[in-house]
Amino acid sequence: MKNINVYPFTAIVGQEDMKLALILNVINPLLGGVLIKGEKGTAKSTAVRAIADLLPAMEVSKHCPFHCDPKNHNQLCDKCREAVTQKKQLPVQATKMRVVELPVSATEDRVVGTLDIEYAIKHGEKKFDPGILAEANRNILYVDEINLLDDHVVDVLLDAAAMGINTVEREGVSYSHPARFVLVGTMNPEEGDIRPQLLDRFGLSVNVVGENEPEQRVEVIKRRLAYERDSEGFDKEYQLEKEELASRIMTARNLLPQVTIDDELLLLVAKLAIALDVDGHRADITVIKTAMTMAAFDGRTVTDTEDVKQAAKLVLPHRMRRQPFEDGALDWEKVEAVFACQ
Amino acid sequence: MQRCSYPFAAIVGQENVKRALLVALVNPKAGGLLIAGEKGTGKSTLVRSLQPLLRERKIWELPLNASEDMVLGSLDMHYALETGKRRLLPGLMAKAHKQLLYIDEVNLLRRDFLSTLLEAANSGLYRVEREGLSCLQEAACTLLGTMNPEEGVLPVPILDRFGMYVQVSRETNEQARVEIVRRILDYEAEPQAFCQRYTAATEQLTEQLAMAQKLLPSVEVSPAMMLLAAQQCARVHAAGHRAELFLLEASRAIAALAGRSYLLPDDLEEAACYVLPQRLRQEQQEQPPEPQDRDDSGENEESTDQQSDQTPEQQSEPPPVPDATQESVSPDDQNNQNQREEQDNQGAGEENIADIERLFSFLHMELPNFPDRQERSGSGKRSLTRTAERQGRYVRAGFPHGTVTDLAFDATLRAAAPYQRYREHNGCALAIAKEDLRQKIREKRIGSTFLFVVDASGSMGARERMRAVKGAVCAMLQDAYQQRDQVGMIVFRRQSAEVLLPITRSVDLAQKCLRRLPTGGKTPLAEGLTTALRVLAGAKNKDSQSKPVIVLITDGRVNKSMDGKDALDEALKAAGKIRRTGVHSVVIDTEQDFIKMGLARNVAQEMGSSYYRLQELSEHNIMHIVKKVASG
Repeated sequence: MKNINVYPFTAIVGQEDMKLALILNVINPLLGGVLIKGEKGTAKSTAVRAIADLLPAMEVSKHCPFHCDPKNHNQLCDKCREAVTQKKQLPVQATKMRVVELPVSATEDRVVGTLDIEYAIKHGEKKFDPGILAEANRNILYVDEINLLDDHVVDVLLDAAAMGINTVEREGVSYSHPARFVLVGTMNPEEGDIRPQLLDRFGLSVNVVGENEPEQRVEVIKRRLAYERDSEGFDKEYQLEKEELASRIMTARNLLPQVTIDDELLLLVAKLAIALDVDGHRADITVIKTAMTMAAFDGRTVTDTEDVKQAAKLVLPHRMRRQPFEDGALDWEKVEAVFACQ
Repeated sequence: MQRCSYPFAAIVGQENVKRALLVALVNPKAGGLLIAGEKGTGKSTLVRSLQPLLRERKIWELPLNASEDMVLGSLDMHYALETGKRRLLPGLMAKAHKQLLYIDEVNLLRRDFLSTLLEAANSGLYRVEREGLSCLQEAACTLLGTMNPEEGVLPVPILDRFGMYVQVSRETNEQARVEIVRRILDYEAEPQAFCQRYTAATEQLTEQLAMAQKLLPSVEVSPAMMLLAAQQCARVHAAGHRAELFLLEASRAIAALAGRSYLLPDDLEEAACYVLPQRLRQEQQEQPPEPQDRDDSGENEESTDQQSDQTPEQQSEPPPVPDATQESVSPDDQNNQNQREEQDNQGAGEENIADIERLFSFLHMELPNFPDRQERSGSGKRSLTRTAERQGRYVRAGFPHGTVTDLAFDATLRAAAPYQRYREHNGCALAIAKEDLRQKIREKRIGSTFLFVVDASGSMGARERMRAVKGAVCAMLQDAYQQRDQVGMIVFRRQSAEVLLPITRSVDLAQKCLRRLPTGGKTPLAEGLTTALRVLAGAKNKDSQSKPVIVLITDGRVNKSMDGKDALDEALKAAGKIRRTGVHSVVIDTEQDFIKMGLARNVAQEMGSSYYRLQELSEHNIMHIVKKVASG
């Protein structure tokens, strides 16, 4: 199905950091998503929808509410697993990656899933009715204004984001299913904080600001108007660019398992993490995974220092804040110093 | 759902946590284990890696959003439909009998619920009285909990019920960090192959555990060891006698793991590291201090705190100035820079920006935590409240009062189930009558609103008093941040009161305002209080349900009135007005002079506030500002 309601990803002017962060996340969904900080009207949600649209369809297990990957046996839901253990062939269909939205007003039962009431009344039996987290499995979970999300919904997200599993023990149903998603959150820092724990779950973070150059701003408007006038024609104009990028992403995905990183760079990242005094180990791990993904995106199988440096820019800023009130800015000079020591 | 989890044997470092986990697995009587540590240190990974080590037992997970019926048990709907009889469908607690129950982010679980669980786990039994059922359930399970203290600490009575407590910290050795990352990359690339590499190690651990469990019943405790345990507990002033029991049970597990059937003093020493940290009752009551060998890590944290405290200042002004930030508020402030050294004899016309003193590390604002009957809504963590909106966590079902607005389907179905054999069905599998209907009872933590009214007059600038004030406010803000409260800030000085920060959830912003708060000028207290009332009234219109608290920080030396009359009298009148609106308030008196005029105390009395002296706060370091909030 052709969806002409999505603005082409490659037609977005500027916002290179955000675009890169999104691309890296679709190449490697294990990076842990991206937090986009910035004001309204900076093409955040447009970019998220566009990146999902860019990708070719993926293989999913047919009729499975969690869109299990038939090839990845370590992350199947109970039903698909049962079928696989009984040596049955999983029926497969191709579906595009989707952007599943989690509105701030969502209630917990809709997020985690709940008792299927209709089924219970008709058949007198309990059945699990999957929620947003089920839908988000293998897709993008998009939370606009994530800093305004209710605490108890955040609790649920934290667990699912870390484990890739959603465990439900409520309303008479006891169930767990895979919930591995690319978490994309947006926030306006002026409107309040985001819990440090949730912040840490985001692999990357980027700041977006509106374009300042008048020419760039004009270009933004021009394209928007052109798109609104004739979205189909506009889309066609960018078709080639889109296809190129999509194929680059797919190549990178295939290349990623072969990307290596040598111990010197690992040591460098360890030094960096110690020098910057970040909490825990997630920062090191994410910097390295991001650097490797960058190498893959660049068509290389060997990660270099520049990849690590670029990755540090995306991974470290939001992890700098150890105390609630520190400004939490990344001291780039410190980073440079560590790199210089090498 | 079965997955190939990260192998226990492949976890780098964290030796003390691993040992404590093994002890908890070998001897359930050691009372379970609570693991605390910053994010990203592998707490959950550690617990979740235990499953392959267990032959017969299972680790059950209790998600934070679990409802009470699922955990404690509920009516068996299918059985009731078939037979028309009531029978208990066991909940998670009963399923975990003689097994393990894991709660991630345990500090975020409802406190009353958590203490029920701990009580049941320790005593091995609990009573079910729900949905027309009444019975005793066995639930002797070992509780494992993980938490991040950043999100708030657990109260002492709850800590006490966990047999053991360990802290995880990040690895500071470069090579070890590299190894951690290497292994995780390998694991993620090929989980199955990775796990296979550790099969031998896992097998060996499994064997060791099984042997230890077999040996455990024959591990004897000699009277000498009992005495030693008692002495150890007495030395740290452990409250109650649970400590000795947990200590001896943990020691027995350690002996059993070593293949011995008798205890050595070393076993007790090791066990003490897991059992006693959260029970030390000397001086510091709030935070569980570390045993000696881990003491230095705690200090490290403090010193890094101080280091990082300084970084923002250094960033804002490249040549590091030891005192006072000089981010000027208005251009004419810059002229005042050189007057800093004359702080003591500072007159009323000057402005000054004081530093923030980091002294009050344990300052907590505490509102009693009993649930509140009035239904409120909002978001935050300070107090637990029932909520009438269809939001918040569904905790249990109850009988509706009047019409049902938020139907609890599961409970309704269970209520209807036993009667199905006798009812008309009209084509449905279930016939539901009006008396079956149950309402969802939801709970939500709501934050409070703290409005800081800060005296920034010239008299406050003297003798670094403002530094201490900023320190105190900062400590309170820190607490407000954890509890997700709303804060606002009003400053009065010179001719008027100024709303520096309207009420907001961004505690961050408040802190920034605080940092550049200038002092100087007269003390228009009355205006400060009137402004506070106005701001709160405005906030009430927007959000009628948050409980506001005014925190007034002043030395009470009022000398500026709004209309030229007696300034103090006017301030007292404004204070009286605040009392009459029923807003709760706290007064922090900053008067330090030799001759005390006690003016702030008068204001506090008039306002009906709790009264504290800033000095007391800094002297005791730990201070609870307790506000009694009437229920209902």
